[in-house]
Amino acid sequence: MTGAQPFRPGADAAATATPARISLEGVTKTYVTPRARVDALGPVSLEVAEGEFVVLAGPSGCGKTTLLNLVAGFEPPSQGEIRVDGKEVAGPGPDRVMIFQEPALFPWLNVLDNVAFGLRQHTHLSAAERRAIAEHHLELVHLEGFAQAFVHELSGGMKQRTALARALAPAPRVLLCDEPFGSLDALTRERLYAEIQELHSRTRKTTLFVTHNTREAACLADRVLVLTARPARIKRVFTVDLPRPRDFYDARVSALAGQILAELRSEITEDRGTTHERDKAGP
Amino acid sequence: MSETKQALRNTLVLAAFLFAVLLIWQAVSGLALLPSYAFPSPAQVGGRLVELAVDGSLWPSAKASLVRMTLGFSISAALGLLLGLSMGTSEVVNTCLRSLFLGLQTLPSAAWVPISLLVFGLSDTAIYFVIVMSSTAAMAIATADGISHIPPVLLRAAQTLGTTRRAMSTRVVLPAALPSIVTGIKLGWTLGWHGVVSAELIKSSVGLGFLLHAGRELNDAAQVIGIMLVTVLIGLVLDRLLFATVERRVRTRWGFAPAGAGA
Repeated sequence: MTGAQPFRPGADAAATATPARISLEGVTKTYVTPRARVDALGPVSLEVAEGEFVVLAGPSGCGKTTLLNLVAGFEPPSQGEIRVDGKEVAGPGPDRVMIFQEPALFPWLNVLDNVAFGLRQHTHLSAAERRAIAEHHLELVHLEGFAQAFVHELSGGMKQRTALARALAPAPRVLLCDEPFGSLDALTRERLYAEIQELHSRTRKTTLFVTHNTREAACLADRVLVLTARPARIKRVFTVDLPRPRDFYDARVSALAGQILAELRSEITEDRGTTHERDKAGP
Repeated sequence: MSETKQALRNTLVLAAFLFAVLLIWQAVSGLALLPSYAFPSPAQVGGRLVELAVDGSLWPSAKASLVRMTLGFSISAALGLLLGLSMGTSEVVNTCLRSLFLGLQTLPSAAWVPISLLVFGLSDTAIYFVIVMSSTAAMAIATADGISHIPPVLLRAAQTLGTTRRAMSTRVVLPAALPSIVTGIKLGWTLGWHGVVSAELIKSSVGLGFLLHAGRELNDAAQVIGIMLVTVLIGLVLDRLLFATVERRVRTRWGFAPAGAGA
């Protein structure tokens, strides 16, 4: 079943028994340069339950990535509070691993050592244990035959799968995905949708996933948040109850994607009406 | 298949060219336009080198130059890496040191010899000083450039995977800058090699530079040219066998095109 509802802050948190893994309260981000002041985000308030897969969909340049960067701890919010497991975010940490648009693999390490990279912090693990964990995660993304390969020998899809394995290996509580499949060809992408759904059902990682692909959003999400144009605010929430695993070409996925797209389109048109005023003040 | 054929053909062409140069040299010296003490034939140069090798003055000198170079260059490489790392990670340090180093790089190695003799006197320390001053700046700049070209997303990836601030340099920054660092070390070795021979010319009782100087004192152009050839040969062999191999391996691992293909 698919339902759309107007956004009510905290509504979902009240419904879930377990404490929210991620909570944002009145978070904004403003970039001040000598020439301009850009309101990139907010205010945004959001609760993400443990194990929930939340997709942030919005027009390009709206501040989706900014939101992820704040949760990852790469930048502090201008206002508001971000908590993960009740603890305020104060910088990047291995409990919240981010997967980027590009694979960002380390070229000086082979594939297996890339996957093991985040395990070096786990000093209680022996070298053999770290290796075993890395090998296990390489199997999860079906790359066990490429453990010793150099990064540049992999295809784009294999690189992104390695990045996924590298992110999962240190057992983060939260996965942050910034359009990780944006640069891949359609065939590879569709295979990865199946893989990521399988991984999610197995590991139940709390996931924040940014995309502007509405079908991708409908296919993967427990909840889709449609964001407004800059500064990004939550415009509308779609709760997705479709059975999993979902096929990318399932009619219900398409129908929901259509609804999300309509919502996004109206945002882009509305935005056009206001850009002129913003341009006067902006850069 | 065709690549190895091509390489073989290039090697043959090069060998033929060098042989032709020797033939022309031999022929020109046969014309006796200049006295043989000023323009010796390749046969005379070869004969003199054999004499030097047999009477036991060539090997100790080559060894002395190499030993000085190994020690001096190690100091210089360590300094270059440290300075480059602090330049690459601090805007302030970079602003201060970069123009200073770019300026220092315009000085020929030999220009460091007089001041090193004044400060350190007639000692091996003076030679180490010349090596360090000749090669450190190039390596520091190459390291800093390598660091500034690291894609920011690699640093963020390392941070999000829990790399602490303290571990960043050794685990991420230096490895990520490695291709540029290796190129810098290769360049630094060549500059240091210039430095050690220049310093030995003026000061020392053993070393390739000393043999060059001694050859001039004895009006022995055959020895001078012979030692020049040995200096070139040692520099070339180390560059090709040692540094070029390391550079090739790094570039292969990174997936870059081979540097200076065909060289």
